[in-house]
Amino acid sequence: MSLAVGKVIEINETDFADVEGALERWQHWPASTISHHGEACCSVAREWVFATDYAQLGGASPLTGPRWVRHRYPWGPSRWPIHWCEAVRRKSLDCGALAALAHEVFTARGVKSFPAQFIQQFTQDATQDWRSRWASEQTPAAWIKDDLIYHEGCAVVAAGDEIKVWDSTAAWWVNTKQFGGYHGVLAVRIFDPQAGPDTAYRWGTHTITPNVWRKLERARGDFAGE
Amino acid sequence: MKIYVSGLYCGTNPQPGVGIARSLRAGYPEATLVGVEYSNRSSGLHWKDFDELWLQRPWEELSLEDYGSRIRDLLDSGALWVSGSDLESLWLSDVFPEGHPNLLTPPGAALKQITKPAVRAAEGLPLRIPTFISTDCSDWEIHAFCRQHDWRVWLKGPYYDASRVGSWGDFEYVRGALSKVWATERLFVQAHVTGYEESVVLSAYKGELAGCVRMRKREITPEGKTWAGDVTEVPEEFAAKLREIVRRLDWTGGAELEMVRDAEGQLWLLEWNPRFPAWIHGATIAGRNMPALLVEAATGVPAREARHVSEEFTRVVLEVPVRSQLPLPPLPEPFSGAVGHSLKHPSGLPALAERLHKLRPEMFKAEAAPGANGNGNGNGNGKGHGGVKVSCAPAVPDSFLSDISGYEFAEVATPSWLFLGGTAAEVFGRAAKLAGGLSTAEVAVTNAYSIKTNPDARLIKLALEHGFLAEAISLLEVQKALEVGFRPDQVVLNGPGKWWPEGLMPKEEMHAVFCDSVADLRRVAAAAGRGELRSKTFGVRLRTPQIASRFGIPVDSPDAFEALVEAVALLPRDSAFGIHFHMASSNVGVGQWWHLYESMLRWCRSVERLTGRAVETLDVGGGWFPDDWHTDSGERFAAAVASAREHLPNLRQIISEPGKAMSQPTMALAMRLLEVDEPRRSGGGDDDEEGEETLEAVVDGSIAELPMHAFQPHRILGRDPSTGEWRPLGRGKTRLMGRLCMEHDVVAWNVELPEGVGAGDVLIFCDAGAYDRSMSYVFGRG
Repeated sequence: MSLAVGKVIEINETDFADVEGALERWQHWPASTISHHGEACCSVAREWVFATDYAQLGGASPLTGPRWVRHRYPWGPSRWPIHWCEAVRRKSLDCGALAALAHEVFTARGVKSFPAQFIQQFTQDATQDWRSRWASEQTPAAWIKDDLIYHEGCAVVAAGDEIKVWDSTAAWWVNTKQFGGYHGVLAVRIFDPQAGPDTAYRWGTHTITPNVWRKLERARGDFAGE
Repeated sequence: MKIYVSGLYCGTNPQPGVGIARSLRAGYPEATLVGVEYSNRSSGLHWKDFDELWLQRPWEELSLEDYGSRIRDLLDSGALWVSGSDLESLWLSDVFPEGHPNLLTPPGAALKQITKPAVRAAEGLPLRIPTFISTDCSDWEIHAFCRQHDWRVWLKGPYYDASRVGSWGDFEYVRGALSKVWATERLFVQAHVTGYEESVVLSAYKGELAGCVRMRKREITPEGKTWAGDVTEVPEEFAAKLREIVRRLDWTGGAELEMVRDAEGQLWLLEWNPRFPAWIHGATIAGRNMPALLVEAATGVPAREARHVSEEFTRVVLEVPVRSQLPLPPLPEPFSGAVGHSLKHPSGLPALAERLHKLRPEMFKAEAAPGANGNGNGNGNGKGHGGVKVSCAPAVPDSFLSDISGYEFAEVATPSWLFLGGTAAEVFGRAAKLAGGLSTAEVAVTNAYSIKTNPDARLIKLALEHGFLAEAISLLEVQKALEVGFRPDQVVLNGPGKWWPEGLMPKEEMHAVFCDSVADLRRVAAAAGRGELRSKTFGVRLRTPQIASRFGIPVDSPDAFEALVEAVALLPRDSAFGIHFHMASSNVGVGQWWHLYESMLRWCRSVERLTGRAVETLDVGGGWFPDDWHTDSGERFAAAVASAREHLPNLRQIISEPGKAMSQPTMALAMRLLEVDEPRRSGGGDDDEEGEETLEAVVDGSIAELPMHAFQPHRILGRDPSTGEWRPLGRGKTRLMGRLCMEHDVVAWNVELPEGVGAGDVLIFCDAGAYDRSMSYVFGRG
């Protein structure tokens, strides 16, 4: 990312990002899930997560983002597969584990939730830093491609066919308007196993067809055309 | 074109003058911009876009009449005026009751309609107003409001300033501070709404909307002020209504509707400010120059078209050169021992507020909205602002007056506790009836009396007579219950001190024993195994995971939860298993308590699933404020019983322990006035003549007899000297100081003594039958 001096700065690298290459690389990646040993160890952990989530909600709307999960588990490399009894005791969790927990939590609250995947743009500096961190923990970094990354979260149905997209790692709702650039979301895929051929969800001005990657149009400012 | 722009304060909570000037400069590069300020401390004076400055003396000094006349001359000469201050706009609406074509501020009638918190002007917009209560209401009602809203409330000033208050102590402190700053007792408490903040800003001239934008805060300062945001179109359904409202109000000038959007997407209006916000240049960056649209509408002179640069804006901190004619003033000397040099409101806005209050009190009276009742949506608490009459004195149950009438105070040596026998019988009777009504064939609901709240034998006996269990936290309390007549199998033993003092544990079977820690559980299990401790139910107390507590077994980590699950296996299998949780509803609020209840049912269900031990007994309660427990409790408790049964199908008994809800109303404290001082003026700063009139009185009671004075208000009764009737005291200017030579011995602030009362007259502090009684101490008696 280079910035021109002395003029209005346009950071418009999205057009040059290799989104197609990223889609191809992550085309067949499934969304992450937490495994269960089928033993008391995982049952205790699972019950603890749901009871804790209800307590943390403090009476707020079930559509409130479960920020406590990220607050308790900082983001970092995870080894897979990961089981409930392991996940709850980890000092850090990667985006897949955080997303899977958030999805489970929303579902337990009675909110319709779908696993979600993103392709996001950062910079070579950022991705290089992550590569070395993942390498130092002997964890593969296949989620990085140049300045793009594969990322996970979940999408919840707010009303009717309208969804909100929760980034469980950042602990925020993803902006429906994407301008590209650093931390910009370039593509989204949500998994709805019940989806029929005509199923589609509204996310801001986007129409999201489940189970396929959707490249996001670069947004324009509301007053840009005036 | 010459445009005067005021409000140049640029601290961490800035005024909009600089942002307005930047936008006007973009829209009208040739215009002469004149910065107006009332303090040379306001750093916006040094902003480069101002061609001229009009620096006035601070509002406390300024001759308002002369200043108004000079502004009139300016406007008559063709200059425009854009105000960046709410209070200045209010004052200008008084100076120009008919308006002025060049005065770009709202008319007085419109300002009345945006008075906080009811904001009548907003009717019709797709938003709601958070529930509120005026501080004109009695402390008793305000405390109830805070409990009902889980102590997630804001105490707000009439124009600026808001403080989150989480306890009664916070509330009293902030009320005192805000009342002093803004020279008014008319504050309000408003329920907090969790969500994301956004605004709609409009620009209008003579009732015609020139433009509007929506801004979502994207970065926020610690004070909650905008640091970055995005600016977009206002949705048409909102804009259409806004257009109608602006026309109806005949609005001129800028305005900002500050709102919160909750998780469900509902918008809540916090304020309607009669000016542009400080971030207004962010809208210009996005391509909508609101100040220029205002000037264009007023003058007909087309503004340079705003150029969209970015939909998102952010702030940076800039150092700018100080103008040579405006050297920086020195900092004031800090008060001895104090930190910092107060620079808040350097232009003297509080002084303007005080002057306007005196000059035009009617300006500050909001227009009453039909049905305005506390939330602007017709379903509030009935204690609204907006001109609706509020009760200054709290209501007192007839039973109090009836019980008190039985005392002959000439013979009562004060301070003295008064047992309100009729009230006590009524309270216990009501609780017994409620429990009976809630019991079903599957689940028995049984009350328990918490001995620690008030170990008075009369109350313990009433509990026994009304079918209560006795809830003890020590073996001395168990003995007390047995002495009054309870059988051991009617006693519930709780708490970390259940083995104290040694040797008093009953040999007979008790009703229930709940373990407070894993170590306690091991000891209980071992004693039960040896046959030294018998109980129908053995169980655990769970520590509330989301609300800080020192009691019970924690569940706040997977390891702690697993340890609990493993420990439960140690409890005797031939007794029933139970779970207990207590949390003072008066501290955490009613809604929070009920959420905690539902949360605990889920924890209980998890424990049941994981241990294989059926939860047959659920012991809940603790610290209910009497009004919360006795009012509308039937329906809510019935739903709670149903919910418990749904989550815990093996449940056989719910033990309900209402805590102080039982004992608090049953006693009062009588005290005598020792002296009543002459009224005096205080709090006027340098000029005592300007302070408010206060009265000080000394009573023979003290905080030793009312240790809960800092946590809850007490309803105080005084006898009307003319009629002899006992009446609740309203809010007034008297400070009631206790007899102790202790600085903090003030038993009540801001009460209104009945006219004519004096030394020797009796005051009765009601609601003193719980911890006031049991935690009172002997002090200053030799």
